[in-house]
Amino acid sequence: MSFVVDFVTAIKPRRLRWALLLLAGGAVALGVGALQPNAQSAVLRADPEAILGDPQLRRVALTSGKQVFDTSCASCHGNAGKGDRTLGVPDLTDGDHLYGTGTVSQIEDIARYGIRARNKRGWNLAVMPAYARKMPDAAEPLPPQTPAQIADLTQYILSFTARATDAAAVARGPAAYSAAGCWDCHGRDLGGDPAIGAPTLTDDIWLYGGSADDIRRSISRGRAGISPAFARTLTAAQLRNVAVYVASLAPTRQERK
Amino acid sequence: MTDPIASPATSAPSVWDIHQPVGRRSLALAAAGALIGLAIAGYGLFTAQGTRTAIVPAEDAALINNVPLLRADMIAQVTALYGVPYAQATPAQRHNVLEDMIREELYVQRGVEMGLTNDDTDVRAALIQATEGQIAQDAMTAKPAEDELVRWYAGHKDRYAGEGMIALHEWIAPRGSDAAQAVAALRRGATAQWLGLKTSGRVDDGDEFYFAAEEHLGKALFTLVRRLPDGAVSDPVAAPDGVHIVQVVANRPPQPTPYAKARDQVLNDFLADKVARLQDGNRTFLKKRADIKIASDLQ
Repeated sequence: MSFVVDFVTAIKPRRLRWALLLLAGGAVALGVGALQPNAQSAVLRADPEAILGDPQLRRVALTSGKQVFDTSCASCHGNAGKGDRTLGVPDLTDGDHLYGTGTVSQIEDIARYGIRARNKRGWNLAVMPAYARKMPDAAEPLPPQTPAQIADLTQYILSFTARATDAAAVARGPAAYSAAGCWDCHGRDLGGDPAIGAPTLTDDIWLYGGSADDIRRSISRGRAGISPAFARTLTAAQLRNVAVYVASLAPTRQERK
Repeated sequence: MTDPIASPATSAPSVWDIHQPVGRRSLALAAAGALIGLAIAGYGLFTAQGTRTAIVPAEDAALINNVPLLRADMIAQVTALYGVPYAQATPAQRHNVLEDMIREELYVQRGVEMGLTNDDTDVRAALIQATEGQIAQDAMTAKPAEDELVRWYAGHKDRYAGEGMIALHEWIAPRGSDAAQAVAALRRGATAQWLGLKTSGRVDDGDEFYFAAEEHLGKALFTLVRRLPDGAVSDPVAAPDGVHIVQVVANRPPQPTPYAKARDQVLNDFLADKVARLQDGNRTFLKKRADIKIASDLQ
């Protein structure tokens, strides 16, 4: 104690103020520096699905997650996460998920290992075949379709959103759907399969656009969108934070009601 | 005046007196320090724990000989294996998954120690694929600029053309009949039925894509037909089963797809090309930096 008194009396008041200010600044910097990693560690150690429900973890993850999103994701998904239909980049704000159900851990998995990004842990199981090609799919022997069959399929899919213009084609649709093997990925009920990224065909959410022309093109030329694998370019903390941020863009169940 | 240090009467300071500099003590301490250092280094070297950390990083579920097992991977595996959200997984379920991951990592490390990367063809194939995949992943994380995509599209427009479509009739003239006369009559507007021509049955389904027509007619005949306009009739073509005459109902050659409609495929192709170029470059680089000696008889 006497040392502190000696120290304070030894220096001039003006210098004392500066010294104290400097010390206080240092203490604050140290405090913030010490707290931040702890808060980030807590985000990393937490159950990913619980982070958005915890105000402190949420704040830490969203603050950093937004920055990561802006630098690594916004170039394709857009600043607001609305996507880009010309590239098949999904709208992250609509609550519809092509792969999985939109949990934070699933989003983190996609950010880390990608979709068709040539990472074996990524989502690589299926592509939309190109039915107007001699070999619609490189991995599976599927029958190519005639222009008339593709037209029938297009009308059939349009019918679920009440936009079909050819009732006879719609009536032929189920047979064409079966013959082409569409059910293998999209299901007998056309409900899709989030395990392989096959979309529901009966709703009005379209990754590549839902006009008759867009649908015809999807069936004819196929689709195989890519999401990069950031496993080596982003840290574990950045990946977790951006996954939480992306999950926060979608409406919650309550908001959807 | 006498110098107390130089005085022979002064006794040598004790090594335990820390207030006095003593050469022997310095040497002993240096030797002890060196020995301790060597012991730590040896322990680290022979137990493979030289850089062991005491704390498991927050993002990891475990460290196996300092190789991290990601917590996120464990969560994904728990969820996939038991079909429940991670929060609802029991401690036993989590433990099982972690044990499996630890086992896998230990076997991978042991496999590397045993030199399976040299011996096992599956391991080698997987390593090649993974290395190539890594190059591809790095290439894909950067989105190309729009003008790069537009330039690529302009340079490869043919790739983005739609499939050509064609509707045809293929008639077979009976043996001994005058096929040239039948062709001339068809060109004047006579019907095939009136001329007594029979259909081959190969292309009667209306519009079909070029590749299908080629498959049905055969390459030679299709090459002849694809350039014919709507309503045209081909010259007679002799075949083992008779003379074939092809009548084109409608021919729509491949049309270029506008950039805006082909953008997703342009991006995929651009990236695939970039990856191929990088992999080529990588192969060259690896060969260049490697010390490759080839037997004289094989050079």
